[in-house]
Amino acid sequence: MKTRKLLSLVLALMMLCGIAASATAETVTELPRNETLYFGGQQWGTVNSYNPVGTNQNNAMGVSTATAGSRTIMFETLYMYNFLDGSMTGLLADGDPVWNDDLTAVTIKLKDAATWNDGTPVTAEDVAKTWEVSVKLQNGAAGTYQAFVDSIEVVDEKTFVIHSTLTEDGKPSNPLKISDFLVATFVAQKAWLETLEERNDGDAIAMLNDRAEDAAFSGPYGPYIDNDQQVVFIRNENYWGQDASMWGKLPVPKYIAHTIYADNAATEVAFRAGEIDVGQIFVPNIQNLWLEDNLPVSTYMDEAPYGICLTMPTAWFNMNNPVLQNVAIRKAIAMAVDYDAIIENAMTNQSPSFADVPRSLMNPTDGEQALYDHEAVADLQWVGNDIEGAKALLDEAGIVDTDGDGYRELDGEKVALNCVCPNGWTDWQAAMEIVAAAGQNIGLELTTLFPEWSICQTVFTNPNQTEYDIFMWSPDASGPSMPWGRVRQMLSSEFVGLENNWSGNWGQYVNERADEIIAAIPLTTDEAELKALYTEAVEIYLTEVPSFSLMYRPAFFHAVNESVWTNYPEDGDGRNIPPAVCTDGYGIAALYDLELVEG
Amino acid sequence: MKGYRKYFGKKILWFVITFIIAVILNFVLPRLMPADPVAAITGKLAQGMTDASAVQEIYERYQKEFGTDKPMYQQFFIFVKNAIRGDFGTSFSQYPRTVSNIIASAIPWTIALQLPAILVGWLLGNLLGALAAYIRKGFDKILMPLSMFMSAIPAFGMAVILLVVFAINLKIAPTSGGYSFDMIPNLSWKFVWSCITHYQLPFWSIVLVSIGGQAVGMRSMSIYELNADYVKYARFLGIKDRKIVGYVFRNAMLPQITGLALSIGTMIGGALVAEIIFSYPGLGSTMYSAVTAADYPLISATTLIITIMVLLSTFILDIVYGFIDPRVKAAQYD
Repeated sequence: MKTRKLLSLVLALMMLCGIAASATAETVTELPRNETLYFGGQQWGTVNSYNPVGTNQNNAMGVSTATAGSRTIMFETLYMYNFLDGSMTGLLADGDPVWNDDLTAVTIKLKDAATWNDGTPVTAEDVAKTWEVSVKLQNGAAGTYQAFVDSIEVVDEKTFVIHSTLTEDGKPSNPLKISDFLVATFVAQKAWLETLEERNDGDAIAMLNDRAEDAAFSGPYGPYIDNDQQVVFIRNENYWGQDASMWGKLPVPKYIAHTIYADNAATEVAFRAGEIDVGQIFVPNIQNLWLEDNLPVSTYMDEAPYGICLTMPTAWFNMNNPVLQNVAIRKAIAMAVDYDAIIENAMTNQSPSFADVPRSLMNPTDGEQALYDHEAVADLQWVGNDIEGAKALLDEAGIVDTDGDGYRELDGEKVALNCVCPNGWTDWQAAMEIVAAAGQNIGLELTTLFPEWSICQTVFTNPNQTEYDIFMWSPDASGPSMPWGRVRQMLSSEFVGLENNWSGNWGQYVNERADEIIAAIPLTTDEAELKALYTEAVEIYLTEVPSFSLMYRPAFFHAVNESVWTNYPEDGDGRNIPPAVCTDGYGIAALYDLELVEG
Repeated sequence: MKGYRKYFGKKILWFVITFIIAVILNFVLPRLMPADPVAAITGKLAQGMTDASAVQEIYERYQKEFGTDKPMYQQFFIFVKNAIRGDFGTSFSQYPRTVSNIIASAIPWTIALQLPAILVGWLLGNLLGALAAYIRKGFDKILMPLSMFMSAIPAFGMAVILLVVFAINLKIAPTSGGYSFDMIPNLSWKFVWSCITHYQLPFWSIVLVSIGGQAVGMRSMSIYELNADYVKYARFLGIKDRKIVGYVFRNAMLPQITGLALSIGTMIGGALVAEIIFSYPGLGSTMYSAVTAADYPLISATTLIITIMVLLSTFILDIVYGFIDPRVKAAQYD
């Protein structure tokens, strides 16, 4: 009995120790389940900051920007992007952006109702100051858009003009990137930015790293709690968006919460248990959750591919390897790969096949597919698993097995290449195994190599690397500048030789005509001309094969557990809300329509 | 007493030498990985940038901030200088969070989980092992194979079995976290209860595995001791059974105490599996993510903690041994 008592005492003491470690002085002790929307698969590790102009915030729910749709629960963008139809809906901005005739400037008006959480209006001065500070700090926004945005001119309290940088011949450098800027970058409050500058004595690093819990925000939610295990946002009951000029009401959940899980497996367990409402994780054979396990889980579409695929994880050929400068080898490998096996095994059919959506530089959305002439390139679009065709191509190019070891030689040397992707990225690893098997089938010695992510990223972003021959990485998903941005990432030589290259063309491919097309598209407004340019780019891509996509993949694995909340966006529900995890771009509209299951 | 002092003087000297070598290895080894964490941080900022000089500028800015632009020996001395003041620098993977801050928030969870689990596992295991040796018959026949079975299950296997059986299938225990996903840390009974329920599975996943190993070890040691000459002699002398059992267990305990000290010393590494599988906060999962992200400062700091803990526990063990076993004490005095 004594031992038991002692044990309980020790346990209790230890528990208190743990509690003391995490206890903070909060008023609410429990989040009411029917007022809280739980997310999973977004936040990994503890939140660093809420800084709208900072870097390394590690605050996925609060401060995430992307051209496919920035997460606007706390800070807001001027426009919300909708990848379903490529439209831009005004958020802080009132009405459409108005371009001048030569596309060198765009005028934007802010909504009269838009205010910060302290009640002061969102003004053109705020927009200009945010840009000024971004440039000064050289943060992510400045890094991405400085080459395209020259200045922001304040016209009046609610109106401003964005002036584009100009090329040598006086043309705008890229209007498409300015459209990206409108949907992707946050607006911060001028008064708060001045406070930030003041308290950090204008030191750039200190300002970038400032925790910024006091940052003024215009979005519907503000910071509530964050610790090692969770991050919670609370609704701003005075949110300006309840004005008729915006949503006309508040978002339904009072709290937005994200529990911090160790990995995907733990997230999936919690998602199945209904502890997560909106999951952004890849669940293999997700249909089994409702078909076999009878869980109240659903995806945007009831049938495969279950979501909207926006990106194309791609295998890049490293042109630093002389063997891969041979186009016959590149094309033969790409032709031999069994893509159906990748889609079935690695993606468990959560991707359309290349027979459904023939390969090009475009993602499977209707908007992008309409941009090139399908018939013109139909002969070039291989569907894969064409072993005989690939062998014939190699034979024709004189790449044959001369020494009888079962492997072909190029210039007397056996063709031996590695296929690389980060360790632990299981669906990618499965895809690379299938690529390597394809090589074996056509007499090329392809072997897989799965380094840790920290090593993998160091190597493939180095423009002079010769360690990885065929390696996987994804081009960007979606946004106003797509598919131009993807054409650029796949073919543009402007990334060749770029140190720490996170921008594109990781295989170091050079093609002058492709560069000309990439320069011409942003300034082309004539639709037929634009289609011709895109078609030619696709033709180059399919003929030269500098890289080849292995699958289509959603930008978000948007899956919902409807144990508590329901009325999520669904394909064909007429609302045109994209499955962007209820927070990104126009996807945030979903938060205003949610209903309780037991209402 | 002079001999005793000399013995410990020598011991301390060896511990200091081991410590210095360990600190050097802790610092150098992670940095030999062919990964560049500064490039990863730069990457987050440089996405979409085409201006090579701007990217390089960002890279150099971070190199300077982390001091990775300096030669490794200089970095080492800066590390030592700062570490003495308790400053382990800034984490790469959780930049701009400091390593000290990360460790401070993780360590109480690891201690709260591991220390009781190790102690309970050790106590129960030894008790069962000793009983098996003493009672033999049916008890031993059941306990022995069961213990062998338990000790053969790897820690992650046990954790997954408990998770699947009790959390997913029977739904009588939570699946992950240190407390319920809908709770906010506060000093209320409801929260404490939530902590206790979340504590169960990770706790038992460690205890059950260690019970088996401890019981097997203790049983063999006890059987060996029970057949020793001094036991037979004591029996001839007619000394009471209870007294003999006391002698036996005291002798059989010695190797087990070494095991205990080492498990306490390597607590952080031991916590890794339970913490990861149950998404339980703590140093084990921190160390794991640090390694996968090539986060040198965090790896160095966590491995330094392990080094210090192992050295300290073995040192304390040396002292404690003297008290438990007069033979050891005599050797130390020589």
